[in-house]
Amino acid sequence: MTNHLITLMLLLPFVGAIIQAFVPNPTGSASRHGRSRWVALASSLLSGIAGVVLITSMQAETADMQAIESFPWIGSFAISYEMGVDGLNALLVLLISIVFPILIGYEWNQKLAPRGMHGLFLLLQSSLFGAVCAQDLFLQFFFWSFTAVPVYFLIAIWGGEGRETAAFRALVASSIGNALLFAALVLVYYSVDPHTFLLKDLGGGKLAGKTFEVFGREWSVSAVAFALIGAGLALRIPIWPLHGWFTQVAEEAPPSVLVAFSAAVIPAATHVFVRLGYSLFPETLVSTSTWVMTVGASSLLIGGICAVAQKNLRTLFAFICLGQIGFILLGIGSLSPAGVMGAVYHQFVVGLGLAGFGLLIGLLSDRAGDVTFLGKGEKSAFGGVAIQAPTLAIVGGIVVGSILGFPGSGGFIGNALVMIGSYAAHPVTVLLAGASLLLAAYYLFTMYRFVFLGKPGPDSERFTDLSLRERAFMLPLAAGLVAFGLYPKPLLGLVRPTILTLLSMVK
Amino acid sequence: MSDFVLILPEVCLALTLAFILAEEITYHGEQSRWVNATALMGLGAALVQTLITYQHAPVQVFHQAFSVDGLSLFFKLFFIVLAALAIVAASHSRAITIAKQGEYCALVIASTLGMCLAASASDMLLAFLALQLVNILVFFIAGFGKRSVPSIEAAVKYMIFSAVGGAFFLYGLALLFSATHTLNVYEMHRALVSAPLAADTGLVILMLAVLFFSFQVGAFPMYFWTPDVVEGSPTPSSGFLTLGTRAAGLVVALRFLIAVFAKPGVAPGQWQVLGEVDWTRILAFVSGATMLIGALLAVRQVGAKRLVGSLIIAETGYLLIGILVLDQVGIAAILYSMVIELFSLIGIFYILTYLIEQFGSDRLADLRGMMGRAVMECTCLVLFLMNLVGIPPMPGFIGKFTLIGAAVRHGRFSLAVVAIIAITISTVAIARLAYSLAGDLRKTIARPVASSPGRRIFMASLLAPLVLVGVYAEDVLKWAGKSVGFILW
Repeated sequence: MTNHLITLMLLLPFVGAIIQAFVPNPTGSASRHGRSRWVALASSLLSGIAGVVLITSMQAETADMQAIESFPWIGSFAISYEMGVDGLNALLVLLISIVFPILIGYEWNQKLAPRGMHGLFLLLQSSLFGAVCAQDLFLQFFFWSFTAVPVYFLIAIWGGEGRETAAFRALVASSIGNALLFAALVLVYYSVDPHTFLLKDLGGGKLAGKTFEVFGREWSVSAVAFALIGAGLALRIPIWPLHGWFTQVAEEAPPSVLVAFSAAVIPAATHVFVRLGYSLFPETLVSTSTWVMTVGASSLLIGGICAVAQKNLRTLFAFICLGQIGFILLGIGSLSPAGVMGAVYHQFVVGLGLAGFGLLIGLLSDRAGDVTFLGKGEKSAFGGVAIQAPTLAIVGGIVVGSILGFPGSGGFIGNALVMIGSYAAHPVTVLLAGASLLLAAYYLFTMYRFVFLGKPGPDSERFTDLSLRERAFMLPLAAGLVAFGLYPKPLLGLVRPTILTLLSMVK
Repeated sequence: MSDFVLILPEVCLALTLAFILAEEITYHGEQSRWVNATALMGLGAALVQTLITYQHAPVQVFHQAFSVDGLSLFFKLFFIVLAALAIVAASHSRAITIAKQGEYCALVIASTLGMCLAASASDMLLAFLALQLVNILVFFIAGFGKRSVPSIEAAVKYMIFSAVGGAFFLYGLALLFSATHTLNVYEMHRALVSAPLAADTGLVILMLAVLFFSFQVGAFPMYFWTPDVVEGSPTPSSGFLTLGTRAAGLVVALRFLIAVFAKPGVAPGQWQVLGEVDWTRILAFVSGATMLIGALLAVRQVGAKRLVGSLIIAETGYLLIGILVLDQVGIAAILYSMVIELFSLIGIFYILTYLIEQFGSDRLADLRGMMGRAVMECTCLVLFLMNLVGIPPMPGFIGKFTLIGAAVRHGRFSLAVVAIIAITISTVAIARLAYSLAGDLRKTIARPVASSPGRRIFMASLLAPLVLVGVYAEDVLKWAGKSVGFILW
């Protein structure tokens, strides 16, 4: 089956970004950015639709790569443009398809250089699609390392007061991460014979037993490359103990950028880890799975404990992110079908949940001008929002419920599968996960109580409910969270065969 | 007579130079001049001649002093395109006034002639003279702003370095001549194969040569002139100076080191070190040190021009990897990276010229928020910088990959690690520049400066080849490989 949906999905935002940068806008203050933002939204949305069509046209019950597109790019280095979807990346395509049109909708009335912001979002969408779908190591790195660039500029230009430091720290972390990945890529390429970058040719234990010599010692290619890839990806996302920069980013970045990062870049990073870990280094993954789970459990626990102490929505968000990544890592390290399936599904719902939560922060801070919900002397800047803005409160409730893993919300499926899957591997981690869920219940309900319920806060009259534009993107998001929680079967059906095949290679 | 046909590109350049000089003599302060057009036409003719010469088989002419082969033709094309871009870029700037256009064009064309001669020279004396011709002319171009102190400093620094470096090379050449009784690289090679050098003599000769070439290409330990020349010379010419001298040095170094001090290896397309001195280790050290020093210097700079100058030093370090791996793939990677560097450096200096003329300074602190005022220019500047450093999706990344990959393939892991670290540091350096351009956009966005169509077209004409070089990387690499393939060794 050959169609060009993936290329279409990849090119539309890119072309849209260029067109919207040059399309002339009608003059006059009211419609200053009229045409360009429509172009931006249309290209993002069309690309998203292409993504959804791609996923719905996929055949379930098969682990094969589908919708493959392949042609050689740089033949002398065996680099080819090879794209495809299977159970591992299908949900991420769906996630990216959903998140980016929403972000452009959220930033519809951006005053400061809207073309730049929309253009960077579109570039990010394009490169994330590429990073997720690429089946060639070089191509994957090519797209993945580029994602750091739009994120840097989005923070550096549209961030808060301390944006320079935040953007700079994010960039340093991600360039070191990319450098490590690049080292792994070159190492893997030159250690197989004939040299190749194609994931399907590199997989199947090709790297097992290969060694290289440096400083007079033999090193295993598989172990070194796995460590480099793990560390390289860990530097791009908030993972204990490398999350210091992320809290700063969370405080400074505009909410939409925070969403783009946490709801799209982070799941893509964990996806790359799963893809490369399971297909290229199965034996190393097996021997280090305890470490992966330890890092995951630590992130989970530390994220939970730190989140309890937060009085500010943005830092709370940062630690929730940390905890959710911990959950995904637990699933990845569990090496059991349920756990890995849970991790893959959780990537998707965490993306949606964090997108909802991040946009909620944005909507609240647009209205209140502040993100502190627990001020000095236990006084909140918010309070009683539910009376003034009931729709906002309901959407907020659904998002919080999903992050918490309430039955009936998307988060529940992921949480439950991960916990079932990892219990067999390491029962202790499940206890930790349970404890962190209790913590989550505490801090999320506290947050919810102080923001939405209780006595009206100082500026509560100013609170307006969701406008039509805001409803247009918040309600589908909330509906999605509920729908994917109540009826996950079709999506899990896509994921299942691929996971089983991958695990059968590991065992 | 057929010898002359093969040097027609040089003949074209010399004739163009004569025309420009004639024009300059008859110039009486008119406001419109044809000197740029003359120069461009001459360069166009030389370009066509070079492309025609590509049809011939590699051959040596003028008593084996001059070899017309893939390497020399590639670099001739490179120098001619470089000169054309430099002349167009300068015509958009106020630094080169109409009255001075003739002088500037004459200097550029004359140094291009020198570079083309250096690219073809297989007689080391000819190569040395051609490089010194280039260096003297570069001295004049660097000191073009006669009343500006940095310009004079750049010129004097460059002259001192070129004099010292040239003397080193002459000593080395004299030693080599006394051992081999010839100045032709291929005959030297044959003489060395039959009667190898003593280890200490070889070491001295190679050290002297490496010192000279390190000056010429701007590598450790003689890299000090690069940031000064970049800063002091008129900005539109900085790209031409740094690319031209370095490329000319690189091509002579390639010929000298590989034709004389290497012999064909076991595998096709590979060489081995000839003699007892393993000069690739010296070069590996030079390369690693150059990369790190350049990247670290770039992080510390407060001026955009010096920052780019430091990045150029680092760039040289990566290019040297291509020589020391001693195979054709490595040299093809150098050529590919040179093509990338050509367009990105010309673009960077073109836009910096504009920013400096528009806003009066190249200090990062003074460039704050300039993206708000000149969106197109600053966006292109960021793209060109990303390309120079090798950040995806720009094709510079493919160039870096081919060079670092060459190091890994030959087991030089530590060099590859150093290169990756240097790229990471360089990324941080350009992020500082990018932040100062974009970070405070909100203060300046209300006062945009109109962009002229001519400037947009020129920037697009630099970006378009880069995109093509990235998309059709395979064809460019093949072409580079083909150029390397028919060198006379």
